[in-house]
Amino acid sequence: MKPRKAMTLAFFVVLLSIGYFSMHAAPTLSDENYSYHGDTRWQTDVTAAEETAAAEGKPIVVYFWTTWCTYCEDYNREVYADPAVQSALDDFVKVAVNLDDDGGAASRMQREYNVNYPPQHVVITPDGEVLVRINGYAGTEDFLSYLDTAEQRYSGGSS
Amino acid sequence: MNVGTVLLGLAFGASLSAAGLLGRAYVADDDAYVAHVPKLTAAAAVLLVSALLHLTYQFVTTDYSNAYVWENTASYLPLLYRVTGVYAANEGSVLLWAAIVSVVAMIAGAVRGIPDRHAKLIHGLTLGLVAYFTGMLLAQSPFASIRTAFPGAPPGFVPTSGQGLNPLLVDPYMAIHPPVMFTAYALLAMPFAIGAAHFVSLFRGNGGVFPTWHGSVTRWLRLSWLFLTAAVALGGLWSYTVLGWGGIWAWDPVETAILIPWLFLTATLHAVSAYEPTGRYRVLAPAMTATVFALAVYTTSVVRSGVFRSVHSFADGGIGAAFLLLMALTAALGVLAPVTYWLLQPDDGADDGADGRWLRRANLVHLAVLGFGLLTFVSLWGLSFPLLRNAITGLEVSVEARYYNLWSYPLVLGLLLLLGFYMDYEAAGRTRALAGLGAFTVATLVGAFVAPTEMWQLASTRPDDAVVYRLVGSASAASVLPPVAYAILGTVKRTGGRIRTAASRNARLKQMGISLIHVGAALLVLSLPFMYVFAGQASVMATGVGDGSMDTSRQAVPGSDYSVRVLGHSRTEFPQDPAVGTHALSTEQVVRRGSSLNGSVQTVHGRVTDVREGPRATVVQLDGSNVWIGLAGNGTTVPVTTGERIVARGRLMWDFVPSADAVVLAGPKTVGPTADPPESVVPTRVVAEGVSLAVYEGDRLRASGIAGQRRYPEQGGMQIRDVVIDRGLLADTYVIAGVSDGTASITVKRIPFVTLMRLAIVSLLLGMSLVALFDPRHGAVTDTAVRGTARDANPEVAD
Repeated sequence: MKPRKAMTLAFFVVLLSIGYFSMHAAPTLSDENYSYHGDTRWQTDVTAAEETAAAEGKPIVVYFWTTWCTYCEDYNREVYADPAVQSALDDFVKVAVNLDDDGGAASRMQREYNVNYPPQHVVITPDGEVLVRINGYAGTEDFLSYLDTAEQRYSGGSS
Repeated sequence: MNVGTVLLGLAFGASLSAAGLLGRAYVADDDAYVAHVPKLTAAAAVLLVSALLHLTYQFVTTDYSNAYVWENTASYLPLLYRVTGVYAANEGSVLLWAAIVSVVAMIAGAVRGIPDRHAKLIHGLTLGLVAYFTGMLLAQSPFASIRTAFPGAPPGFVPTSGQGLNPLLVDPYMAIHPPVMFTAYALLAMPFAIGAAHFVSLFRGNGGVFPTWHGSVTRWLRLSWLFLTAAVALGGLWSYTVLGWGGIWAWDPVETAILIPWLFLTATLHAVSAYEPTGRYRVLAPAMTATVFALAVYTTSVVRSGVFRSVHSFADGGIGAAFLLLMALTAALGVLAPVTYWLLQPDDGADDGADGRWLRRANLVHLAVLGFGLLTFVSLWGLSFPLLRNAITGLEVSVEARYYNLWSYPLVLGLLLLLGFYMDYEAAGRTRALAGLGAFTVATLVGAFVAPTEMWQLASTRPDDAVVYRLVGSASAASVLPPVAYAILGTVKRTGGRIRTAASRNARLKQMGISLIHVGAALLVLSLPFMYVFAGQASVMATGVGDGSMDTSRQAVPGSDYSVRVLGHSRTEFPQDPAVGTHALSTEQVVRRGSSLNGSVQTVHGRVTDVREGPRATVVQLDGSNVWIGLAGNGTTVPVTTGERIVARGRLMWDFVPSADAVVLAGPKTVGPTADPPESVVPTRVVAEGVSLAVYEGDRLRASGIAGQRRYPEQGGMQIRDVVIDRGLLADTYVIAGVSDGTASITVKRIPFVTLMRLAIVSLLLGMSLVALFDPRHGAVTDTAVRGTARDANPEVAD
């Protein structure tokens, strides 16, 4: 076989392999009900989350994010991958709202909590009252202390 | 029908008839009417440029009778950003594109004329593109009247204030990035026409056009590459400051989209420079030439069709569909036609040389073309497959930065090694070059394992990741050093030799240019991974910012060498003291608009000529006219006196009382002197909130300034960042702060190698400018002696 033809054939083999492998290596961002951040799983259906929170008496962490937000990636890598954060988050109902989403519930949450840029967290009671707001990126320690404050305020308010 | 629409209509007529005449002349091989084409082409160009200037004028004078102007600007914006508004959305940017393509068509026609049948086809195709763009503009016009936005409005209705410009575009980089990008895309129109015409001509049995148009293609492609490189760089630098990404590249879909034509154009330039009419790249070079434009249209569809959700999705709408159709048309001509031709050809005549040797410079160039092809594919696939997958399975998958980074990284290193080898091969000969390649390849592999700290690792990987991500991701960034060194050494060495033996000054300058481009590329590759791998960031929260009770002493930023002093808090609203005419109607305007204003909330200004106090209300006459301000109460709370200029906001009632035409029902808080209007009357367009701070590294002051954000309340509360950047030689100190509710969250980043990256970009641009100007054969300044030599017949002499 002539060199150039061989190279071109190899090119197509590599191209198809990249296509095939990359497609299967891409992590799931969301399925029908959840979106995934770091090692945490967040509900995407706001209404369902509100119902769960009301039933279980847990506060809700609303995470406003987008795919292009680099600080969201920092959250994934640094904060949500941390086991301490994961266990702290177990006391909350987690909802992720993609700010680029045009859906009704997402837009309602953006308006209701006046959130316009990612990343932002708003911790709310099942009734929608704001307990704590985290604007921008907070490191693991700060993030945990915010969650702690939210829990204290929630138990203080509900007792 | 307004002036703009008439200009567009005439331009459409001119370009379509010119394209039609050329098409007829080509098919019938008949020169009748062709003499009219240059005039029609010039007319189309003049008309489109006039339309663009007319639109710009409307933006500068904030003529809100034009809906597009009203949607994309506001009078508080400085002149520069009022001009930026022209291409803030689809209609204006397509007009810009169309105008530049028409100018390109005019210049191309004027320089070369229409000497033969092939030229007719080429110019016909270019003018067809102009006609298509102009047709798009007629369907969705940038000159549509404001009544399209307010169908119920009465004739003559003009809003007092504009919607404002997309806040992301309020930046000096954005004032130049779109025109530079559209110039690059427009310059690709000629190569597209030449490439497509080549295959159409081959199919019709007329022989190809490429051999005679090779020089022309080369020049257009180089010029386009120059502009496209500048556009990519400007876009990257823009995101660095405006979006607060803390880096220049985040693989946002639109960034990736502009990279795709850039990579493919780079591959095309290599193929075209190695093109030979009877041998190498006989099919591939013209095919790639035509495909670049199709890719540019694809990327524009990405930005404009609204298919992709992205920070860049400035606009979507009907024009998206027109782009998708254009994408299909250009892909049919630019991609499908060449592929079909190639498949139908029994033997593509690819000549690898009689002996079939592998190690030939021609084959190395081919590898480079393929390598750039693969890089293009990585970006193209990353952009496209999530859509395909979502459409098929409903599952949303994440294409993270590391998909692009980790697949591209080995390819880029491979290309650098290839570059080093290619350059060395000429200077050092076969055996020594092979030894060099072996040594540097081994060094690269060794480098991949040399990670002094975990920080050097290219990406953080998890055990459940795909094999390739674990493999490449866990490699050390040190692996980039040997290929970069090899590429630079090889290039510099070869350039030295070539400059010594070059026959003319132009040839030497061209070699210099080629050297600068390749060294620049190597430096760019060096800066990028390190910029991310070694970037450090740490955050600190400052409370009590709003009420001034914050800690103004130096606070350490945990986990870093930085400390921060918050010195103060600032909150400013814009526009400050805007001219009253920009947000309030004069009494004359109120009377002219008449009953159309009935029931709407309006701001009105004028001089108080009469004040009448009644038992339940006070009424104030303005300018001796039939326009009155009505204030509830008996006058004790009304702070107006006769002769004073006032501004008032309230519901306007037409024919409310018999003695007045209009009464504006205001309250004490919505009436005040023009010189010091009440807060609720003047619209707030921008709220800038920030903290003034000083950042220290150890004891040394690194950066100081105001960091925070700018919020645009009337534009859905969109925010952009005000960052503080200290540009250092080795590293930038980058401070980003989010300020709200009395708390500032401050993040300090250290971003290394930004200066090196800037240098690399300058080197690329300077290099290509030299090549485009001084190539002895195909430059703007050419050596006539070199033309017509038998260089093409000898593949080993090609660059």
